[in-house]
Amino acid sequence: MVIAFVIGAVFIMIAGSDPISGYQSMLRGSFGSGLGIANTIQRAIPLVGMALAIAVAFRAGVINLGAEGQMILGGLVGVLVVLYVPGPPLLVMALACVAGTAAGALWALIPALFQSWPGVPVLIASLLLNYPARYFSSWMVRFPLKDPESSMVATDSFPAGTQIPLFASPSSGLGQTLLNNLGKDNVLTIVGRTVNWSFAVVALLVVAVMFMNARTRFGFESGMHGFNANFARYSGVHSGRLTAQTMLLSGGIAGLMGVMFAIGAPNNRLMDGQILETNYAWTGLLVALLALYRPSGVLIGGIFFAGIIAGSGAMGRDLSMSPQIAAVIQGIVIILIAFRVQIPVRRRRTSSEVVEARMEHDQAEEEVGRV
Amino acid sequence: MTLEVDMRGITKRFPGVVADDNVDFSVNTGEIHALMGENGAGKSILMSILAGLHQADEGEIYLRGEKVAINSPLDAIESGIGMVFQAFKLFPSFTIAENVVFREEPTHGPLLDRAAANRAVAEISERYQLAVDPKARVDSVPVGVLQRVEIIKALYRDARVLILDEPTAVLTPQETEGLFNILRALRDDGRTIIFITHKMKEVMAISDRVTVLRDGKVTARLITAESSAEEITHHMTGRDVDLTMAPPQQAPGETVLSVKNLTVTDQGERPVVDDVNLEIHSGEIVGIAGVAGNGQVELAEAIMGLRAIDNGRVAVQNQDVTQASVRHRRDAGLTYIPEDRHGVGTAPLADGAANLAMGHHRRAPLLRSGLLKRSRMVWHARRLIERFRIKIASPATPVGTLSGGNLQKIVVARELDYDSSVLIAEQPTRGVDVGAIEAIHRELTTYRDRGGAVLLISAELSEIQSLSGRILVMFEGRIVADLDARDVTEKQLGYLMAGGEQAVAAS
Repeated sequence: MVIAFVIGAVFIMIAGSDPISGYQSMLRGSFGSGLGIANTIQRAIPLVGMALAIAVAFRAGVINLGAEGQMILGGLVGVLVVLYVPGPPLLVMALACVAGTAAGALWALIPALFQSWPGVPVLIASLLLNYPARYFSSWMVRFPLKDPESSMVATDSFPAGTQIPLFASPSSGLGQTLLNNLGKDNVLTIVGRTVNWSFAVVALLVVAVMFMNARTRFGFESGMHGFNANFARYSGVHSGRLTAQTMLLSGGIAGLMGVMFAIGAPNNRLMDGQILETNYAWTGLLVALLALYRPSGVLIGGIFFAGIIAGSGAMGRDLSMSPQIAAVIQGIVIILIAFRVQIPVRRRRTSSEVVEARMEHDQAEEEVGRV
Repeated sequence: MTLEVDMRGITKRFPGVVADDNVDFSVNTGEIHALMGENGAGKSILMSILAGLHQADEGEIYLRGEKVAINSPLDAIESGIGMVFQAFKLFPSFTIAENVVFREEPTHGPLLDRAAANRAVAEISERYQLAVDPKARVDSVPVGVLQRVEIIKALYRDARVLILDEPTAVLTPQETEGLFNILRALRDDGRTIIFITHKMKEVMAISDRVTVLRDGKVTARLITAESSAEEITHHMTGRDVDLTMAPPQQAPGETVLSVKNLTVTDQGERPVVDDVNLEIHSGEIVGIAGVAGNGQVELAEAIMGLRAIDNGRVAVQNQDVTQASVRHRRDAGLTYIPEDRHGVGTAPLADGAANLAMGHHRRAPLLRSGLLKRSRMVWHARRLIERFRIKIASPATPVGTLSGGNLQKIVVARELDYDSSVLIAEQPTRGVDVGAIEAIHRELTTYRDRGGAVLLISAELSEIQSLSGRILVMFEGRIVADLDARDVTEKQLGYLMAGGEQAVAAS
């Protein structure tokens, strides 16, 4: 951890700033102030969600590297619903979430089917399907959906009331109450006025996945499939069906994250590359790996990484670094912390090393002599 | 008498396991020395240290009185040590001679002198009656020949010490006898042979002296002629073992497993299971004898639904399951102990509770109102661990840390806990120590006596003969004989396993 921050400091100095004030502003911008905490939570919502989407797949031994594409398509479909489906705003919003989830799920189903026939591994097909999703969505926003009135490359703004609302938007009664009773610098006020309801959805999802893993047949079978797919098949698990179900679930969560990110307040229009630039899918992959696919680990790891992202952003602003340099430092800190976290993780894994040694040993034993 | 090999105080540790603990192992020049021990006793590691595949953490190795450092397989070869592994390490598309001279090629300028290579191989082959054709391609000759090629390879490098790794596992009884003659000729030539086997009969037949290892320590150094099979077994296990089996208590009943015209092809080409018909009745154990790789594994997998079939029908208790999924076949009463317990029979990284629950998690008592619960799985695991006396620290221990015998007991316990009518047991005791063999055999006969039907697939003729009521012989994917176990000899089985049906028919 110390080494991570020393190396980070070197880069801050290369960028021409003072490392100590850099770290101070990083801490302030992540966990050390109301605004920082709010920023962290905002980023943690999609990050935890995406890590969860990837974790449910990886835990089952299904290497879904297409979460990014699933998220983008989910977001795009959700935006289409919001823009073009008439009706009561709340209902439209709910429909957008459902449609986005379905879009992500179906996009994720394609690699599962390709694996069953003709046998393209999910890893490859899912990864490649990111590109069509990415560029189709970009094309949609640049051309058919572009708001001609706006100078931004973005869609029309969403109809009133179709966004996922903030907990306590400044204009609402609750927002005013918080402001009046707790003051404008209180953590609850700031979080309530800037974080939207997708927070609750993600929290619920984490709990639901925990329950699924521990208590349901599907959760048990997918865990065993992840440990040893041949064993699962031998025990009567239909491997192809389980892979398809897993991809539907994983892609569905990713798609839902896409919608909630795209139509979640304060966003009121979808900009080109808006989902892509955040890189939540790939940072989520890292979080899922470090968490060993456990939902609890995903939650903690996701919040932690969200803090680093928020903090390095704040540092960039405070020390007026260029955003690229701030991103470099953020990347380096993430990598180094990943190393650091990996060490205790490996220690916890010693049992698996013993297993490997044992298997190697038994194999040698089987080769050399029996009885 | 000089000491050809003298390993002193060898200790080798792996994370969490001490494979060899201060082992002294010495072999006289010009003797056949058997190294014995249960699975995990450390004999393979000890020999791979001598062959340079592993390095000892502590201890010294002396060859002919001189201290040597063996840090790689090349060092071992230079010191005159050759090892024949169970899995042969040959290039299939090269000729025998090319394989033998690989890395030590006789050359003619920059070119391989193929004639000299062929001559050298023919010479060695003739001298020890190894009978190989130097120009034959390796993928065109049978397994027994490959083993001789490995031996020639070691002799070509002038190995004075030859380590043979469970050499008879892949051989028929006749081929085994041939191998023993070769080994005796090599010994008479002054070479030293270290022979690892678990077959007591072979130890008694060929070795001059025996070293027994248990839990990484030497428990006995014996002169074979002055010892007995019982004594050696006792030193290996630390107790007396009884491997004789009770005969069935009742006559076989109705047919429970029926297989008709079953054909499986290898990627749509060569048939690996060729028009197999068999019927197994309740209360009987039917053994399938055969040299490994003659379609036994494919037959078992096809019956279980793990492998696509090209033709034929499979029925369990008159219920046709030819098109059914693995799960439906299991529901119909099929259970299966697979040969590959790390790769198929268990999830080694998952814990005991999960491994024992798998399959049973679909119904009560593990599944209640559609939900599972960890505490019920742990309870289920404890019950089976106790009943089958599995040595495991707790249900939360990953099963991959268990020894071969205990891992196999996990598989056996889980499969026998189904209320099934058919059990396919594939190499149920391979790589398992004597104590566990005894326990597993007892479970199989108990299952039979309760009315279960067992299809026993094994490369061990002694196992097949002691357990089965009927013996089928499988050769090149076909069932070539259906015999009553009472009036068949090991010799006959050996002929049939080697494809010699005419030989038996004529006799």
